[in-house]
Amino acid sequence: MTPSTLPPADAVEDDAPATGSADATSTPPVVGAPGNPPKFPGIPWTRALMIGLVCFGVWLLLDAPSLQASAQASPFGTRRTVSMDVLGPIAVVSRGLQLSHVVGWTDDALGRSQGGGPSLAVARPEAHRKLPVVVTTTVPATPNTPTTSTTFPVLNQNPAPANPLHVLMVGDSIGIDLGQALVNDLAGTDAVSPTLDGRIDTGLSRPDYFNWPEELSADLANDRPQLVVVMIGANDPQNMEVDGANLAYGTPAWNTAYADRVGSFMDLAFATGAHVLWVGMPPMASPGLNAAMDNLNAIVQSQVKAHPGQATFLDTRTILGTPQGGFTPYLTNSAGAELNIRTPDGIHLTNDGAEVLSQAVINSMRSTLHINLPPT
Amino acid sequence: MLFPTIDFAIFFAVVYTVSWLLNPYPGPWKLFMVAASYFFYAWADWRFVFLLMASSAIAWLGAEVLDRMAGRARRVALWVTLAGLLGLLVWFKYYVFVTVNVDNLFHGVGLGRPLPLLNVTLPIAISFFTFMAVSYVVDVHRGVLKRARPMDLAVYLAFFPHLVAGPIVRGTELLPQIRRKRDPANVNYVEAFWLIVAGLTKKVVLSSYLAAYVVDPVFADPRQHSGAEVIVAVWGYAVQIYADFSGYTDIAIGIAMLLGFRFPQNFNRPYTAVSLQDFWRRWHMTLSGWLRDYLYIPLGGNRGPEWRICVNILITMLLGGLWHGAAWTFVGWGLYHGIGQIIGRQRRRWRAAHNRPLEPSGRARVALARFVTFQVVCGGWLLFRATSFSNVTAMLSRLFSGWSPSPLITPLALAAIAVGIATQYLPDQVLDRLKGAFADRRPVVQGGILGLVLLAITTLGPQGVAPFIYYRF
Repeated sequence: MTPSTLPPADAVEDDAPATGSADATSTPPVVGAPGNPPKFPGIPWTRALMIGLVCFGVWLLLDAPSLQASAQASPFGTRRTVSMDVLGPIAVVSRGLQLSHVVGWTDDALGRSQGGGPSLAVARPEAHRKLPVVVTTTVPATPNTPTTSTTFPVLNQNPAPANPLHVLMVGDSIGIDLGQALVNDLAGTDAVSPTLDGRIDTGLSRPDYFNWPEELSADLANDRPQLVVVMIGANDPQNMEVDGANLAYGTPAWNTAYADRVGSFMDLAFATGAHVLWVGMPPMASPGLNAAMDNLNAIVQSQVKAHPGQATFLDTRTILGTPQGGFTPYLTNSAGAELNIRTPDGIHLTNDGAEVLSQAVINSMRSTLHINLPPT
Repeated sequence: MLFPTIDFAIFFAVVYTVSWLLNPYPGPWKLFMVAASYFFYAWADWRFVFLLMASSAIAWLGAEVLDRMAGRARRVALWVTLAGLLGLLVWFKYYVFVTVNVDNLFHGVGLGRPLPLLNVTLPIAISFFTFMAVSYVVDVHRGVLKRARPMDLAVYLAFFPHLVAGPIVRGTELLPQIRRKRDPANVNYVEAFWLIVAGLTKKVVLSSYLAAYVVDPVFADPRQHSGAEVIVAVWGYAVQIYADFSGYTDIAIGIAMLLGFRFPQNFNRPYTAVSLQDFWRRWHMTLSGWLRDYLYIPLGGNRGPEWRICVNILITMLLGGLWHGAAWTFVGWGLYHGIGQIIGRQRRRWRAAHNRPLEPSGRARVALARFVTFQVVCGGWLLFRATSFSNVTAMLSRLFSGWSPSPLITPLALAAIAVGIATQYLPDQVLDRLKGAFADRRPVVQGGILGLVLLAITTLGPQGVAPFIYYRF
């Protein structure tokens, strides 16, 4: 075995091999190569294929109900239909033979919903706790931000360490980008108790995949927020199922159904006395997705207008876009420095982009909601 | 296409079967493998297939031209080819980083903004296939490798098991395997299935759990976590990135093995290292070997005065850090390891001059050296994982101010970290006994065992699988 190292471990004692000599071949050991032969005899490729197929078959039979649930939650379309058609009969057999209980028992033992491991990239509300108390008295300036204005008579507008404002941030992956910066910034005021609940790949279109109303209800009961900041929508331009009917994205029926869902979602917060600050989707690099976000923003905005005094819409198209509301990966901040605000996918926010948006949300809380937040 | 997905399982079942059926026919086999690999790559974004083709074409053309020349012309041809290959890498990976920093620097001293801002999308795997293309061209220039036929080179660079996140396989290792037929009656299935199962377990179960429940929450919001949670999150990340990256390469080596190919080992129990030099002998071995052979040694390596050697080490590690990502935190990580290497080197020189043993001896000293090395490596991981230097300082500040309750430190979290480290101390004999017991079973039983293991992995894993960390490199 010839170890590979940088620089060689024996660098002090020996000269490095000269460039252009056999040094280029001193590479890490190759698994199964001469000098490192296989310890077990090989078999014909057909037999290895058979082992693989048996493995796949056993797994498919035992895990079919979970796979069926995943397929059910995937976007409507041919792929979903084929998956459902293939997995349906296997899942029936699996359930008939009581094989699906293997996974069910594991889920029960781990205290999870059926077939559910830990969701990815979740900033968990239970991780939150109060910060050390620091008394601050500064009343910040309240710059203007593009928001749909309203008044909020019952909001805690003078939060302090002894009487913090409870803020819940919920969102999809872009909401997580914002939420991580916002929670940090709000926590930095020492007058806000912020909580983030973010779920990647989620939205309001597919409650069969992830049920945000249920999640919000649980969050509202656990955290009792006075202000709910929402940033959800990037995954929503897809067909929806409403009362058994499949509504094609972009149709008037879809728009109406989506508006209902947005309204109902807000109603959950209103029912607990919380205010909603809905952060609109920023411009997207893809023209198609950008147009879809414009459509969603318009729907949300109409719902906010239908709930005067209870909700605010923060339009991010000029905050994270060109003055005309177009997509741009860069912004120049007030100090004149160029910031890269969007990730290469043209969808998500970089740390700098998230920070820009977080400050805009905080400004909106100050200017539109008239909350006297200490400086961060 | 991600390895731990149904999409890939179906893709691989087809490719495996067709690949072995076409094995007696080298021409059609190569054509098929290039097509399959491009399909695999196009799954994420079809546009970048053209980039992969361009990189292959530049490498092939460059090697063809330079190998027909001698002396200065040969060197010029080499540099032109390298400029072409590395130019693509710099453009796609570093343009935004360079532009923003240069513009801000010039703007800061009142000289305007010289570079235009463009939206450049980073293609998956560009760092890996560029380094492989560079190694091919340089090896041809050095005379240690014969020029490859266009189709051989296309397979070499695009071969899907290594395409996305390595290991970085040299032309000297892979091209001869591409040129000859594989033995269809001798598939090293025990080792292959073991690697795939081990890789899936590390990635889907261990890495995903630590990321979701320990690492991400703390790094996202250090101010709300205790000093103890910060320490455990950094340890957790050390295990997460090892499980993630070594898991990927285990699967890559395993599926290549099923296709009759042998890849170099990429990890060798890195957290058993007794020094930083030792760590780099064990971590991402194909990259450290590449940096040594194609950067460190051409810079002068261990020749010349001591200060020059130290500069060579520093440059190599800095560029190695930057290879991982266009961000100052990666530069900081490279600098951290460069300085660590230099300190280690000076220590070894001092010990050699005073007739002291260079390596620790005795159980207690070895254990202490391993513990200290792991903590030093974790210091580097803090820089590597942090989103910014302010994130680093926020994490560090909690060590001195935040010893509040630590709900994220659960027995399961500590057990996951312990398992991630302890498995690196498992003797080969134990693993061999397990493999031997598997090999003794009948094929149907073997398939059943693997099916149950797969069920355990998918049941214990999360919903959906996050992309591998090294995808973005």
